[in-house]
Amino acid sequence: MNNIIIKNILRSLLIVMVQIMIFKQISFSLSDLAYAHFLIYPMAILILPIKTPRGILLMAGFTIGLIIDVFYDSLGVHAAALVFTSYIRNLILAFLEPYEGYNTDDIPTFKKMGSGWMISYLSIALFIHCFLYFSIESFSYVYFFEIFLNTIATFFVSILVMLISLLIFRPKY
Amino acid sequence: MYNILQLVLKYGAHLLFLVLEILCFYLIINYNRTQKEIYLNSSNVYSAKLSSQTNRLNQYLRLHDINDSLMYENASLIENIIQIEYSNLNVPEADSLYERYNLIPSTVCNSTIHLRNNHITLCKGRREGVLPGMGVISSSNGIVGIVRNVSENFAHVMTLLNSQTVISCAVKSRFGHGALVWKVEDPLRMTLESVPKHSKIAIGDTVITSGYSTMFPKGIVVGKIEKFSIPLGSNNYNITVKLINDLTAIDYAYVVQNRFAVEQLSLENEVPNE
Repeated sequence: MNNIIIKNILRSLLIVMVQIMIFKQISFSLSDLAYAHFLIYPMAILILPIKTPRGILLMAGFTIGLIIDVFYDSLGVHAAALVFTSYIRNLILAFLEPYEGYNTDDIPTFKKMGSGWMISYLSIALFIHCFLYFSIESFSYVYFFEIFLNTIATFFVSILVMLISLLIFRPKY
Repeated sequence: MYNILQLVLKYGAHLLFLVLEILCFYLIINYNRTQKEIYLNSSNVYSAKLSSQTNRLNQYLRLHDINDSLMYENASLIENIIQIEYSNLNVPEADSLYERYNLIPSTVCNSTIHLRNNHITLCKGRREGVLPGMGVISSSNGIVGIVRNVSENFAHVMTLLNSQTVISCAVKSRFGHGALVWKVEDPLRMTLESVPKHSKIAIGDTVITSGYSTMFPKGIVVGKIEKFSIPLGSNNYNITVKLINDLTAIDYAYVVQNRFAVEQLSLENEVPNE
């Protein structure tokens, strides 16, 4: 049990470090209309075990977001988006709940939940996260069109990286 | 205390979410320049909007007072117009009490328009100086009627739309004068009788009060000539006048107070009618 907790913490830290060290350097613009970031750190929250208590999710989201923010030089923006994403994670899970319900030891992986479930779960959560992130970043709905374009561009590149990394590393807990 | 603890246990995650989001937004606003500027700017915009709305509401609540003050202002302006009309006569004034006419502004409490003999009730009476026999003119233009009866706080006015109303009127800058009466059942049209037929008039001429009675000063616009005819064997025109004001929608009116009315009437009544 303790083992699982420690491993989850280490994995989250690894994801955060990869985000800061590698994906922070990469971002490309699509002909001045939108720019795409790689936001893969939501994965740290999303692949925690399904029965993780909400309070722990929120605290973890806040901590991870704050660490990302310190390195992105935008204190609070990532944290606000990630706290919200952690908060609605349970709603998305309830929405996608299979007919038999979840087991107590279920974890969101391709092997356990199936690829269809996994893709829809990650897509919904990540899209909401990207939209929130760009909304909070621009802080005004005057830029709604730009927010939407950025969200779509970022969402596609990020979900691609997430799915590929999950398929390569295949986490077991 | 136990209840509070239970509440926290039950909704702990939601409370934590709210606390964390508030903390995040606090950080965003205080440590990011763009967001801070937008926040300050839009909060200014919203507070300005709110205060302008409050202002509008206050103005709306003060509308009654504003209306009253406008009514008094209008009264003094119309008094000025009447004065100008009299100063053009080049008749030297006998004394310094120049202001012969005085207007008492009033709101309309009640009115009828569909009867054969229509009346309105003004919300001012003897206490404010309204007396029977005074003329009533409209706030915009045109005349309303004649005060018939007053109580302490109200005045009963016989309007133009009354079969008993007869008002001395003239056609502006034409010869002769006649009597304005209401014949047809149309609240916008009246008939001007006994204008002699050797006076040349045209359609569109302005009909004004003649000033030959104690009720109305000279030169108040009543209406325009819509059509006229000379009945067979008559010496006078039969003129249809379109009223300038709509008596069916009237909210404010001015009672004309003539300072010399009593004097004039008593002089005229000294010689009995023969």
